[in-house]
Amino acid sequence: MPGMTYAQIEQTVLDTLRPARLKYWAVVALVFLGLLAGAACWAYQIAVGIGVGGHNIPVVWGTYLINFVFWVGIAHSGTLISAILYLFRAGWRTPIARAAETMTVFAVCIAGLFPFIHLGRVWMVYYMLPYPNERTLWPNFQSPLVFDMVAISTYLTVSSLFWYTGMLPDLATVRDRATGLRKKIYQIISLGWTGRYEQWRHYSRAYLFFAALATPLVISVHSVVSWDFALGIMPGWHSTLFAPYFVAGAIHSGLAMVLTLIIPLRRIFHYEEIINEHILDNVAKTIILTGLIVGYAYVVEYFLAWYSNNIVEQESFRWRAFGHYSPEFWIMVICNSVVPLLFFFRRARRSIPWLFTISILINIGMWYERFVIIIGGPAHDFMPNAWGLYSPSIIEYGILMGSFCLFFFLFLLFVKHLPSVSITELKEGVHRGGSHVL
Amino acid sequence: MSSEKHVMALFEDDVRAASAVEGLDGYPWKLERVHSPIPSDKILHALKAKKSKVGYYTLAGGIIGFFSGIGLAIYTAVEWHLIMSGKPVVAWIPFLIVGFEFTILFAVFGNVLGLLFQTDLPEFKSLDVYDERCSGEHFGLLASCAEGQEKQLMDYFQGKGGEAKLI
Repeated sequence: MPGMTYAQIEQTVLDTLRPARLKYWAVVALVFLGLLAGAACWAYQIAVGIGVGGHNIPVVWGTYLINFVFWVGIAHSGTLISAILYLFRAGWRTPIARAAETMTVFAVCIAGLFPFIHLGRVWMVYYMLPYPNERTLWPNFQSPLVFDMVAISTYLTVSSLFWYTGMLPDLATVRDRATGLRKKIYQIISLGWTGRYEQWRHYSRAYLFFAALATPLVISVHSVVSWDFALGIMPGWHSTLFAPYFVAGAIHSGLAMVLTLIIPLRRIFHYEEIINEHILDNVAKTIILTGLIVGYAYVVEYFLAWYSNNIVEQESFRWRAFGHYSPEFWIMVICNSVVPLLFFFRRARRSIPWLFTISILINIGMWYERFVIIIGGPAHDFMPNAWGLYSPSIIEYGILMGSFCLFFFLFLLFVKHLPSVSITELKEGVHRGGSHVL
Repeated sequence: MSSEKHVMALFEDDVRAASAVEGLDGYPWKLERVHSPIPSDKILHALKAKKSKVGYYTLAGGIIGFFSGIGLAIYTAVEWHLIMSGKPVVAWIPFLIVGFEFTILFAVFGNVLGLLFQTDLPEFKSLDVYDERCSGEHFGLLASCAEGQEKQLMDYFQGKGGEAKLI
C-alpha cells in the first residue's frame, strides 16, 4: 500500500465496521444454524452417552482428538505471524497479523472445547483442576495430558491478552470516530487510551516482551500436544520426531487457514490495497517452507521405522500407506507436501483462485494428517488380535461441522465489530516508508 | 484558585512536534502531555524519556510463575505420593515443563500488570482534555502556562508549524 495516507488507512478499516447489509446477516444466520446443529449433536451425546461416537476398543481417540489437534494447529500461525515475524521485523506480517491473531484466539477456544466434548460426562471437568480434596487425588503432573491442559490454558490466556493489548490503540481510534452508544462501548474497551507518550513508551516495550514470550510458548504448546502421543509406547506415535513435526504441521495448517480467511476478507472489505499480492505471495512462500518440513517429517518417519529394525513399527508404517486408511494417508501426503510445491510457481502465488484452492486442500490434508496419526496408531498396534477399525459417527461429523461453524461465526462477528487490520501498525509502516510490503 | 492555562497544539508530523517539544526547554511553560497516533522515536528522544520499567514486572512474574509451577507439581505429587511409571514421586523433568508454562503465563500477567500500572490504564479523565485527531493524523502537545501567557504560548506553537487552541 505505498502511497496511502493515515486517513485512507483509517477510512478503509473503519468502513468495515459500518452497519452490515442483509447478506452479511444471512451468512451469519447460516453458520449459526450449523453451530446449533453441532450443539444439538453434543447435547444428544450428553443425554445418551459417549457411545454415540464411533470410538471403540482399540481406537479410543476418534475425531474429538483429531479436531482438538487440528484446531490447536490452526491457532499456531497467529502467533507465528504476530510474534515470531514481529521479532524478525518482517514488515509483510502487519496487514494480516490481526486476522491471524483473532484466528488464534478463536481456534484455541474451539480446540479447548474438544477435551470437554470427549469427556462424555462433561460436568466432571473440574476433576482436571488441581484443588485440595478429601481423597488427596490430584492431577498427575507427570502426565502429558496434564501438561497439555496447562499449556493450552496458558496459550489461550497469553494469545487473548496479546490480541487485546495489540488492539488497544485501534480501539481508541474507533472510539474517536464513533458516536452514541458505540462510542461509549469503545471508550470502555479501549481503557481510555489517548496515545500519550508514556503509554507508547511502556506499550512498545510490553509488546516486545509479549512477542518474546509468545515465541517459545507457541513452540512448547504444540510440542506438548505431540507428547500426548509420543510419550505413549504405541507404534507410529513413540517418536522423538513428533515435537518438531507437530510444530511445523501446526504452522503449515495455520498459514493455510490464514489464506482461507484473508482472501474473502480482502475481497469483501476492499482490502486489496492493504492486503496486496506481495503479502499473499509471502504467505505462500512460507507455506512452501512449512510444507517441505512436513514432507521431510513424513519421509523421516519411514526412515526411522526402517532403521529401527522394529518389525512392529515397520508393519505400522507399511499399513499406514497400504492398509485400510491408505486413502487418508495419500490425501495427507499429497495435500500437505505435494500440492504446496505449486507455490514454487510465481503464477500460483499470485493467483487468488490458486491460493484459495491450495489453502483449502492443505486444511483438508492437515485434518487427515491428524486422522492418520491418531486413528492409525491404536487401530494397528502390537497385537494382531487387538487390531480394529474406526469410522466417525454422524454425531461426530455433526460436532465437527459445528466447530467449523462456530469458528466462522465468531470470525464473522469479529470483522464487523472490531478492526480486522491493525490501523496503528499500518500507520507505522507508512511512517517508516511502507516497509510492510517488502 | 489556579491561574494556570492550557494550550493544545496539533502538528501534522512528528518532526515538527519533536522540535516544538525540544524548543519548550527555554521557556517557563510546562509540557503536560504529548499524544500521538503512533509511537514516535523522535518525540521520545525529544522528551528524553527513560527506558520503560515494564520489563521488571515481566521478570518478577516469570520468576514467581516458575516457582509456582514447580511448587504446585511437587506439592501435589508429595500429597498424592504414588509412584507413576517408575518415575520418582518428585520427577524433575516433567515438572520443568509445568514450570516453563507457568513461567510464561505469569510473565505475561506481570507484563500486562506492569503496562497497566505504568500507564495508569484504565484512565478516562485524560479524555476531557484531548483532541480526537490525535488518534488519526496529528501529534498533539498539551502545555500549561501562567495566566496572561497563553497568547505567547500559542504563538510559539504556531511558529513551530502547529495549530494551537486554548483549552
